[in-house]
Amino acid sequence: MAENPRRLLTQRLETDPDSVERDLFKLVLTIIELVRQLMEAQALRRVEEGDLTDDQVEALGLGLSRLEEAMEDLKSRYDLTTEDLNIDLGPLGTLLSEP
Amino acid sequence: MSEIQSSVSGQLAVRDASQISLVDLLDRLLGTGVVLAGDVLISLAGVDLVQIRLHALITTVRADMPVPRNLQGGADG
Amino acid sequence: MTESQLERGRYLFAFARGLDQARLEGVLGLRGAPLEVVEHRDLQAVVCSVDLEEFGEAQLKEHLEDMEWLEDVARTHHDVVHAVSEAGAVAPMRLVTICSDDVSVRGRIESLYPQLSEALSRVEGRREWSVKVYATRPAPPETVDAGRPVSGAAYLQRKREQAAQRRSTGDEHLREADEIHQTLARSVVATRVLQPQDPRLTGRADTMILNGAYLVPMEETDGFRAVVSRLAELNPTLEIELNGPWPPYSFATLE
Repeated sequence: MAENPRRLLTQRLETDPDSVERDLFKLVLTIIELVRQLMEAQALRRVEEGDLTDDQVEALGLGLSRLEEAMEDLKSRYDLTTEDLNIDLGPLGTLLSEP
Repeated sequence: MSEIQSSVSGQLAVRDASQISLVDLLDRLLGTGVVLAGDVLISLAGVDLVQIRLHALITTVRADMPVPRNLQGGADG
Repeated sequence: MTESQLERGRYLFAFARGLDQARLEGVLGLRGAPLEVVEHRDLQAVVCSVDLEEFGEAQLKEHLEDMEWLEDVARTHHDVVHAVSEAGAVAPMRLVTICSDDVSVRGRIESLYPQLSEALSRVEGRREWSVKVYATRPAPPETVDAGRPVSGAAYLQRKREQAAQRRSTGDEHLREADEIHQTLARSVVATRVLQPQDPRLTGRADTMILNGAYLVPMEETDGFRAVVSRLAELNPTLEIELNGPWPPYSFATLE
């Protein structure tokens, strides 16, 4: 199958003086959520690889569960769902996953 | 052919030729498909200002990867 | 007042054979330009004149990143290709193929003649249909509300189980998609499996598990639709979307 690079379109986030605060906040929250999901996925991989001590596993899990709670709290305060944050690890996940 | 049936799980949705979606059209006309990159271009009052390249910002770390030089302890150039 | 030297080119919409030019009457090209037909051997090229300031290489790169411009040009392109498909056998061009003049257009027909003839024969009297299959996204797992503090290990264990569940669902989707595709493939002339589309582009939250293009002889349209209906009945947990008939973009477009 011949290589078929896909055309990537950059998304433009249009803001104006009235909406810029909320728009940027949504963007920041989106990036935080992305990093959180990546951390969690990577932690799971490391746990499965079996090279972590019990203490490390416990500490990782505790930290991640608190991160998840904090994220839920932030989302609810600004009345946002995960869909609103437009997170889809699909294409991005492919760009980041190990070869 | 111009019937439109609304679709519910297990049923069929049919649309006529003039209603080809933009995504389908671009998928076929551009020959490379269309996908949104993890990039965002922030524009304020119609002026493009900042581009965030998410995929360049973030990589995951494996146990067997070397630690970046600037994070290693001890004297280093 | 100086007259600007506008450089012009020929925008290629499609190649055709047996074109009934009368049926193209009233169909306009880009920016209101009239459609023109360039003939060579037994083939025709459907073109219109365009300004190279807009369609030349320099500006093109920027334009191709501009969704509004893309949509405008793509829709006009499709309208023309659709009209040609109703007037003869058609091999559509990809978006924005420009030749400098008609001599160049004829030259292109000449150099591509064998492939063009083959492609046109392949799609003559046939139409492309799109079949997309969606699986409902499972409800997102409930986040921790009761029973905190949960131990860190237990949290990770729960996440591992959810990930395993997602993986097995994913495998099931692949099987279902493959089965549907194979069934469809048996009843058509040609098939092409395309990449599933990004939910942000489709505006649908469901997971697209199959994005297939199928080449169907016009006289077999009803039979094909019956097969798709039947598949929809047999797979109540999935949503099957049929679109068409379209010009044979996925089967006659030359690279």
